[in-house]
Amino acid sequence: MGRYLLHRLAYLVPTLVVISLIAFALSKSAPGDPVELLLRRTGDEQMDELASTDRGYRETAQILGLDKPVFYFTLLPAAYPDTLHRIINPIHRRLVMNLCARYGRWPLAEAYFNTLQTYEQRVPEKPREILIESRRITAELYHTDRGTSIRPLLERLVRLHPSGDKEHTEAKKLLAAFANMESNPSVWNAYLPGFQWFGLDNQYHHWLSNCLRGDFGRSYRDGQPVKNKVWTALRWTLILNILSLFLAYGLSIPLGIYMAAHRDTWIDKGSQAGLFFLYALPSFWVATLLLLLFTHPDIGLQWITVTQVSDYPAEAGWWARRLSDLRHMVLPMFCLTYGSLAFIALQMRNAMVETLQQDYIRTARAKGLKERQILWRHAVRNALFPAITLLGSIFPAMIAGSIVIESVFNLPGMGKLTLDSMFAQDWPVVYTILMMSAVLTISGLLLADLLYSWADPRVRLGAENQSTH
Amino acid sequence: MKRFAILPFLRKKPASRWALYYLYAFFFLAIAGDFLANEKPLYCKLEGKRYFPVIQQYTINLGWGHWEARFLQQGWKDQPYEQVVFPLIPYSARTIDRSNLGARSPFGPQRVKTKWGWHWLGTDMAGHDVAAGLIHGSRVAFLVGLIGMLVATLLGIFFGGLAGFFGDTRFRLPVGHAIAYTLAIALSGYLFWAFILSRGGKPDMWSAWWIPTGGSALFFLSGWVLALGLNRLPLGRRTMALRFDFWITRLTEVLNSLPTLLFVMAILAILDRPNIYAVMVVIGLVRWTGISRLVRAELLRVRSLDYIEAARVLGYSSWRIFFRHALPNSLGPVWVTLAFGMAGAILVEASLSFLGIGLPVETVTWGSLMRQISSSNIRPWWLAVFPGTAIFLTVASFNLLGEALSEWFDPRGEASR
Repeated sequence: MGRYLLHRLAYLVPTLVVISLIAFALSKSAPGDPVELLLRRTGDEQMDELASTDRGYRETAQILGLDKPVFYFTLLPAAYPDTLHRIINPIHRRLVMNLCARYGRWPLAEAYFNTLQTYEQRVPEKPREILIESRRITAELYHTDRGTSIRPLLERLVRLHPSGDKEHTEAKKLLAAFANMESNPSVWNAYLPGFQWFGLDNQYHHWLSNCLRGDFGRSYRDGQPVKNKVWTALRWTLILNILSLFLAYGLSIPLGIYMAAHRDTWIDKGSQAGLFFLYALPSFWVATLLLLLFTHPDIGLQWITVTQVSDYPAEAGWWARRLSDLRHMVLPMFCLTYGSLAFIALQMRNAMVETLQQDYIRTARAKGLKERQILWRHAVRNALFPAITLLGSIFPAMIAGSIVIESVFNLPGMGKLTLDSMFAQDWPVVYTILMMSAVLTISGLLLADLLYSWADPRVRLGAENQSTH
Repeated sequence: MKRFAILPFLRKKPASRWALYYLYAFFFLAIAGDFLANEKPLYCKLEGKRYFPVIQQYTINLGWGHWEARFLQQGWKDQPYEQVVFPLIPYSARTIDRSNLGARSPFGPQRVKTKWGWHWLGTDMAGHDVAAGLIHGSRVAFLVGLIGMLVATLLGIFFGGLAGFFGDTRFRLPVGHAIAYTLAIALSGYLFWAFILSRGGKPDMWSAWWIPTGGSALFFLSGWVLALGLNRLPLGRRTMALRFDFWITRLTEVLNSLPTLLFVMAILAILDRPNIYAVMVVIGLVRWTGISRLVRAELLRVRSLDYIEAARVLGYSSWRIFFRHALPNSLGPVWVTLAFGMAGAILVEASLSFLGIGLPVETVTWGSLMRQISSSNIRPWWLAVFPGTAIFLTVASFNLLGEALSEWFDPRGEASR
């Protein structure tokens, strides 16, 4: 048994690493600029003073670790600078990458980009209209890398200031830098591979090692540690799912056995039809209908509350609070349970019917054993295998289902947290939850495997034979 | 032949018969919905000229011709028609009926001029007709199911087939070939990646497409030459096995350990613009593992049959045996998963649009109609009941069809049912 467990666990490590890579890659390509999100949260709306916000931006990015390389290595075309990760602002980085891709020479592109930045950061004493026009042009320049659209913009910029002016010379310098870059293009640089090794000091490594230490970063939305947010939500989801799982298995297995024992009677046929009906009912529809029913003022079924869960009465003790929680969970639990219940019961029935046709059952009958004994002692153990295997697919389905159910019933679980964070572009929370649910699912699969190998020694022995070969 | 008798078989049992009838209706609604619910008339006569606006819309969508100015200046309701035939439901899914805003009940008061304009299933918060929305939603559901499962099936058959037929030991090739072609594939892959990285999103620079194409052709050519050269060395001639089964199993393990809905949501979240086709493809990319598992199991059975051995003895190449003889014989169970998979994909799409993730705001689907419940105070039951019934009936019918198909392909199990 122990060896089988080890065998299974060894395969988990690469799976988890790949999942962490997927989650990290997705979080890196998610839209929105984390630094801006964080600055917006702190209420730093005086972004007029360009220089100071630029410093503020840089410092925030450093705190978030965004100035580090993303991964252990990069495999980018040679046209790109090896210090690309130091350009933190996504707009700037996009511009530099586009310029490099188009003209193929980083030093020239760098010269142009730096001149553009120094020009933009000047705060000259000028009439308001000229300043606004100049701002507009520079903002456009940051979004274009096409020569045919850069040149007219730059010419407009030069004409904007009277000649002999400091800004005029700066604009001319910018135009010269651009002309230099444009006249010396190199197409092939965009294809020559350039491999960069950054070592362990990169974002992925820090993120992963922090995750292993239990630190999942901070939420962009309110600066709270992600761990706390997810943990509060996880408790709700776990309690909900585990209770539903027990309920589903506890009810469906006896039901399936009962149906198999009364095979082809009207009870069996009726329950089969009913269970099939239940299985096909979309849970979020049922949830919506129940919500309509229980909150409709004319029907008067308000005994199940769907208000905010945390609104306990002040004098409520521990038990009263748990009772209130339970009252909130009755409907979600029902919605989460009935589908899997129907599915497991149908599978259990079919497995049981098949088992009851086997020879050893006939032998048992011939021995004169009681039907009760045959059912519960001899047949059940063999018929349970499919139901156990189902655990592996039902657990992830339940977690996915609880996303929708929680959001319908306003339950502060993982599902609702995911949705809220997704709409607020709070990616650390979203991708931590993705990782967490993967870990939960894997534990479910592992549990199913262990139960299976406990129930069926052939699996366990087979694995051990394999590993001893 | 037994294979052609599948429809009579499905019609034999009442459950699968009704499922089949419902699915016929569903396909019909999805395909012909424009002729049933449309704000444009099917036929009209204006100043002596005859028009077929619904059909004309198709040709205009294809880029042939354009609307006459008067149709753009004035709404379809207000034209001075001489003759006109409107569809059964004279609303499109996105037609806003300004006199029936804010969710009108089908039984409550509605401000309509004639009974032809009555909203039989009510309106939603923005004054859209629910019946027209349901018909449009059936098209979205149909497309999501079809394209999503098409992607999933192709991937599933490919990966499951490789894993099942070749396993860990049966695909052997000379080490020299492996080295040469791995190099060629890696280098061409890099070339295309660099091309997309630097040229992506810049239409004026796509003219350089010949660089990666020609480059990879060159790489494969030199890979071939290299393979020939390596074949002369003793080490290069030695064969090695590609462990398809091992690696594909690892891949499915990773995909199976991420809850489908959550994973789909997380992928869709990174898209800049919500897009219905992205939803379809992502659903397909995530859901192929079930099909792959089935095809693998089926091929494990098939590959040990005598006729495969006979083909091998005849000296057929393993790819020919795989594609021409083994794979076609093991696709039966795929139809079963396809039916169940359609139900699953439609359910995922409905959940996504119910949550408001991944689909454009203006797309009317069954889920998006239901979503409006939570945002309104008057609790319009018709927005929950009708779309939900449509989802339920579709999902149930596909499930029933799947059940019936699995009996068809596995008659042994019929005895136990």
